[in-house]
Amino acid sequence: MKTYLYNTGYFFKETGKIIKLNLLSNLFSVIGTALILLLLGLAVTGANIGNHLVNMLNEEAEINGYFSKEISPADKEALVEKIREIYGVRNARFVNEEEAKKRMENILGEEASILELFEENPFEAFVEIRINVDAMESILENVKNLNGIEYVRDNKEVLEKIKDITYVFKILGYLMIAAVGITTIIILSHMIRQGIYNNREQINTLRLLGSPGAFIGFPYVLTGILLTILGGLLATVTVVFLIKTAYEGVGNAILFIPLPSRKILIDNMVILIPSLSFILGLSGSLFGLSSIRKK
Amino acid sequence: MIISRNVSLIYPDKTQALFDVSLEIEPGELVYITGPSGSGKTSFLKLLMGIEYPTSGSLSVLGQPMIKSNFGDIQKLRRKIGPVFQEFKLIEGRTALENVMMGMRFLGIKPKQMKEQAHEALEKVGLGHKKYSRVENLSWGESQRVAIARAVARKPLLILADEPTGNLDYDNAINILKLLKSFQKEDTTVIITTHATHLINNEQNATFIHVKNGRITTERRSMAV
Repeated sequence: MKTYLYNTGYFFKETGKIIKLNLLSNLFSVIGTALILLLLGLAVTGANIGNHLVNMLNEEAEINGYFSKEISPADKEALVEKIREIYGVRNARFVNEEEAKKRMENILGEEASILELFEENPFEAFVEIRINVDAMESILENVKNLNGIEYVRDNKEVLEKIKDITYVFKILGYLMIAAVGITTIIILSHMIRQGIYNNREQINTLRLLGSPGAFIGFPYVLTGILLTILGGLLATVTVVFLIKTAYEGVGNAILFIPLPSRKILIDNMVILIPSLSFILGLSGSLFGLSSIRKK
Repeated sequence: MIISRNVSLIYPDKTQALFDVSLEIEPGELVYITGPSGSGKTSFLKLLMGIEYPTSGSLSVLGQPMIKSNFGDIQKLRRKIGPVFQEFKLIEGRTALENVMMGMRFLGIKPKQMKEQAHEALEKVGLGHKKYSRVENLSWGESQRVAIARAVARKPLLILADEPTGNLDYDNAINILKLLKSFQKEDTTVIITTHATHLINNEQNATFIHVKNGRITTERRSMAV
């Protein structure tokens, strides 16, 4: 370990020399890595926005339970309490006939006058149940089986679609991360192998002088990490710029879409991309080194 | 120090470079390995450095058995050896000083001490004034001196010089041999290969190993009183 500490300056100098030796090629590698990480950043940002929307929809997911005619108002209140205790139920609220009518008037707007044709309020009281989509099946089962509930309006198709969208977003995110990871590792390991090939005479001399493999390889690992981090930083700056621009431009134009906080999105990118670039740089370099060592 | 018992070396292309070599070299000896080009001198040095391994027989260098499977130990052994390669193997783009220090970086020596040892070695080979010159700008003879400085700065137990007089005129060749001899100490063995036997005919305190067609045909010890 002390050998490595004594040679810190040497390692950085060597790293600089390795980079300079193939400056153009290394520059392209940085740009390539930056573009890949930029794609990842954009995909993750998209996934974050998508997840936010899905979560919002998820929170809005609700079913309505309609009471049997014969039960008393007190029994209705008790039923609401029971429903609240069911696993997966976020909230349950009693909506009386008057509120049900008002809601419909709000929905109909100017057309609401049509409701005046009814002599009596045509709407029934019901229980509005906000649910966790994942537990939808069991909630439906439980609510339907309650005494005093005549039928349940479940919006099942809509809720299933929300579930599917969440799943697709997750899978796309994983695929994107895997694709970016593999591509970066391939680019880097190729670059490291090229660096080793260009310096093969120096490496051979060091071996003949008794240098341990790890000592020889250390500057190459540093090179890999440094180049990927540079690419990562470039990608981070670009993603942050794009997020800011998008929020300032598009965000105001589409107010009806509830976008997640810009700060959270940017913070995520500032942490994710540099950390990921470090991990990819390290693994790519080690992979490149090990594939050379086997030869 | 070096014990060779019936060592033979056959290269993968079936060329037999050494036949049944048996010898012992003690610590602190000055050894000349002589013989015409292609006789097997360099092959023997390759065996001593673990670049090649005996096809048969046994060889141990500084107590280390030279077996292919012991690569980690061979690397440790190499750190105790100061090699002067025929083609120098200096690293271009670096100064003479950097080249000398390159041979010491992984020995666990503190940076200050490492620099001092490198300076000292360059002074000793007469290149103190060119320590900051890039090696590609040095002459053949100067490059050779840098290679020697790199070998001795490590304070090795064994110095192996492969044809150090190869491309030098008579005076420079004699000077290089003198310089290499000056590093022979009680615990430092110096082994020099050369085909220029006329340069060492007058040596009085050295061991001579003559190699011809891969066989040690002569072993003569000439001890000065």
